[in-house]
Amino acid sequence: MAGATRSELVESETSAADAVAAGAVGLSAVLFALSMLALFEGITLSEPVAGVPTVTVLGALLVVLGGAVIAFGVGSRVGLVQTNPSSSAGLIAASVAGLSWFVVAGGFASQTLALGTVGGLLGGVAVGGLAFAATVMTREDVGSTVPIGAIPLLIGLVFLTGLIGPGWVWDLGWAQTASFTAEFVIPVATLFGVLFAGWAAAKAYAGFGARGRRTGAFTLIYLNAISIVAVLFILVAFTVVQGVPGLLTGVEFGPGTGPQTSLFGVSFTLPLSVPFVMNGVALLNDYQGVLPAIVGTFWLVVGAVVFAFPLGIGAAIFLTEYAERGRFTQVVEVATNGLWSTPSIVFGLFGFAFLVPRFGNQKSLLSGMLTLGFMLLPLVVITSREAMLSVPDEYRDASAALGVTKWETIRSVVLPAALPGVVTGVILGVGRIAGETAPILLTMAGGTFVPGGQTVDVIGGFVFTSTPPFVANPELLQATSALPYQLFALITAGVGLGSNVADPEGFRWATALILLVVVLSFYAIGIATRYYFRSKLRHE
Amino acid sequence: MASVTDRDTTGGGGDLRRRLDRLRDFVDDTTPAALATIAVITVSLLGAFVGFLLVSPLTVLPFGAFLLASGYGWLRHQEETALVLTLTTTVSTLFILGLIIVFIFVEAMPVVRYESTTVFGVTVPGLRMFLQANWDAVSPPIRYSMVPMIHGTLMVTVIATAVAAPLGVSAALFLSEIAPATVRELVKPGVEILAGIPSIVYGFIGFTVLSPWASDQFRVSGQGTYLFVGVVVGLMALPTVVSVAEDALSSVPESMKSGSLAVGTTDWQTMTSITLPAAFSGVSAAVLLGVGRAIGETMAATVMLRGVPRLTEPLVNAFYGQETLTSLIARNYGEADGLQMDALFAAGVILFVTVLVISIGAQYIEWRMRRKLGGEA
Repeated sequence: MAGATRSELVESETSAADAVAAGAVGLSAVLFALSMLALFEGITLSEPVAGVPTVTVLGALLVVLGGAVIAFGVGSRVGLVQTNPSSSAGLIAASVAGLSWFVVAGGFASQTLALGTVGGLLGGVAVGGLAFAATVMTREDVGSTVPIGAIPLLIGLVFLTGLIGPGWVWDLGWAQTASFTAEFVIPVATLFGVLFAGWAAAKAYAGFGARGRRTGAFTLIYLNAISIVAVLFILVAFTVVQGVPGLLTGVEFGPGTGPQTSLFGVSFTLPLSVPFVMNGVALLNDYQGVLPAIVGTFWLVVGAVVFAFPLGIGAAIFLTEYAERGRFTQVVEVATNGLWSTPSIVFGLFGFAFLVPRFGNQKSLLSGMLTLGFMLLPLVVITSREAMLSVPDEYRDASAALGVTKWETIRSVVLPAALPGVVTGVILGVGRIAGETAPILLTMAGGTFVPGGQTVDVIGGFVFTSTPPFVANPELLQATSALPYQLFALITAGVGLGSNVADPEGFRWATALILLVVVLSFYAIGIATRYYFRSKLRHE
Repeated sequence: MASVTDRDTTGGGGDLRRRLDRLRDFVDDTTPAALATIAVITVSLLGAFVGFLLVSPLTVLPFGAFLLASGYGWLRHQEETALVLTLTTTVSTLFILGLIIVFIFVEAMPVVRYESTTVFGVTVPGLRMFLQANWDAVSPPIRYSMVPMIHGTLMVTVIATAVAAPLGVSAALFLSEIAPATVRELVKPGVEILAGIPSIVYGFIGFTVLSPWASDQFRVSGQGTYLFVGVVVGLMALPTVVSVAEDALSSVPESMKSGSLAVGTTDWQTMTSITLPAAFSGVSAAVLLGVGRAIGETMAATVMLRGVPRLTEPLVNAFYGQETLTSLIARNYGEADGLQMDALFAAGVILFVTVLVISIGAQYIEWRMRRKLGGEA
């Protein structure tokens, strides 16, 4: 019973201190959001919040935060707070503290005290070294809070005293002028101070020691993962918000509003009209659109897949099933991985030098298809190989035991088992090449605006001739547009766009949105296929 | 394991003899009709390839013969035809890499010869491209220096790596070791989609949003900074780092981690003292591959940079973005002809060689790591 009473006392003691540490973590989160807002001009630094200047508010919060962290560490050292610190805060914490104090002191010595580069270096090394030593030499509860908590404290004091105010500018004095302004330095300094303090507070919250370090590190890692997802979300949402108005200009519902379409010889009128994706560009159009680019992208992807898919699968079959592991397979593997990381613009140069002279000496759809096919090929080989290698050997043995030939085994056992992986890989690869601009820039793309009448019609374009090569397709041999190129051309066209489209900015964003939709739908399909097959495998 | 060492100790000559033996066995085992079909397939395909190289309109004839022979072989001798066709596709992968090397090097030759310079009485072709920093394709003296573009690529790559490496490795650690299953299923596709957003869309957002914002923040004249091109390119290289590093981390045998956890360490201690050191080479290969992606990134750089092939002043001034190797090609291919076009190919050669070396280096590191972990497990 005595033990139970004691542990109760300890608990009530720590919960008060816990509140301090947890409050510090929460305050860090609030300040993190505030500094992000300030960085992207969500709040203006010069405007007051509830009568107090924003800089003063930030400074005061930083002082409170740094003070809380330091107080917790000192409190733990003198025994007011129950924790289990290690004997030292460790080299990582020491390096972080040393490095940041080096920057702070170096900047202060060289700029504010005007001691020059050497003085700055010396001052930085002296103070940074001191911070490093202070972190390593003391017990963890002091070492990981005082040198690191002092940074937000100092930054906060600088803001409070007005040493760095809203009008502060530091001209770097370079030949090409550039300056650090308060609008940048204040949010960024706050951000760093907050990250440090939040890290130290998270450690303190878990009572230092091994558990404390775990909590501190996990806080930062979770923050990083959340930020990555947030960036993705913001990018997509931003494009959607900006692109939807341009996409929906002139949309009409109801029977008879859409363009005339014929499918399998039956001609009918669509009950919906979206001019942006159903029109080309023409002088008399009410609304301009990007239909030729969409169709161009479609044929480009089809051509690349038709070229790369059989080649890639064939190579993967040979490498996995026929070839003995040796120098030859090694060379092929290195070559495919090398091809995969080759920059896309180099593929463009290659297509320009190799394919363009061989297809009528002008940019053509066919050159674009083959160039993208070259890019897709290594991915098909790599993913198909992975999929075939993951087919268990028992399958092959069982089939061979029935007395069928090797090719029979491959065709009826290995390929069907590997198909889901192959298909998923190819879909993801297609998503990647559908958005590529650089290779088609040099091999395929034509003018900025393609009239609706020039929408490619590959199937209807085949004609037979009496001279070799006996079959020709002028549609394949002329330049056309594709969505990524269209967007690039719209960006570089700049002001000249205004004479063609009523709202150039909306037109650009709408093009970006359509491109994003096309590419991401490939990804959505690929990822969904993977989940579908995986859940199927799990159930069977 | 034994067979591998066997093969390593057999020299090149023995290897060749063994291969010849295998070929002879294959010829002995195969019926003459099938052999003839294979011969027709091989010869006609070679003919088509040579015809294509020579820009001959008659290319279609051997290609037609190839299709016919393959069709016949598929119906009558499927076993042998399949073997030959898959071998052909494998060899064609190698051929494509070979063709890329040959064509971009040949196209770059004239400018390499033009930019040769004499050092200590020895004429070194192409050296002047790296000795002075003047790119001028219009007014004499006409010079094609690669120095400003190499500087630009270096600036962007360093900044991009500083963004992508720590964030990518930490995200990989999160995905492979920390995240609960449901969170992982959410974050992983997110990272993949981040890789899927086309680079021109990144460039467009950077061009319309980041560039004006940056020149306002840093009181820079004009738009386009290496700093923010680097940040955007870093974001684009991030998924590469994450997925390769995650593979490396999850290839560390579970037994090693369990052994550490069993002595009572926290999972974070296990990560820092067991998982990360064991996967260190794989993680560094991931960072290397991310660097390769950053070097080769084209469209975002082209749209966001100024397009002036000059060094920044001073050299560390990242607030001005002039030109990178990739954006030089994408911006100038239109009006370039003759020597200037060849200079663009020279830029392409530099890119290609750099990235290929990085890729091979990363593969070597990964291969060593697999062998080490495989040997210990």
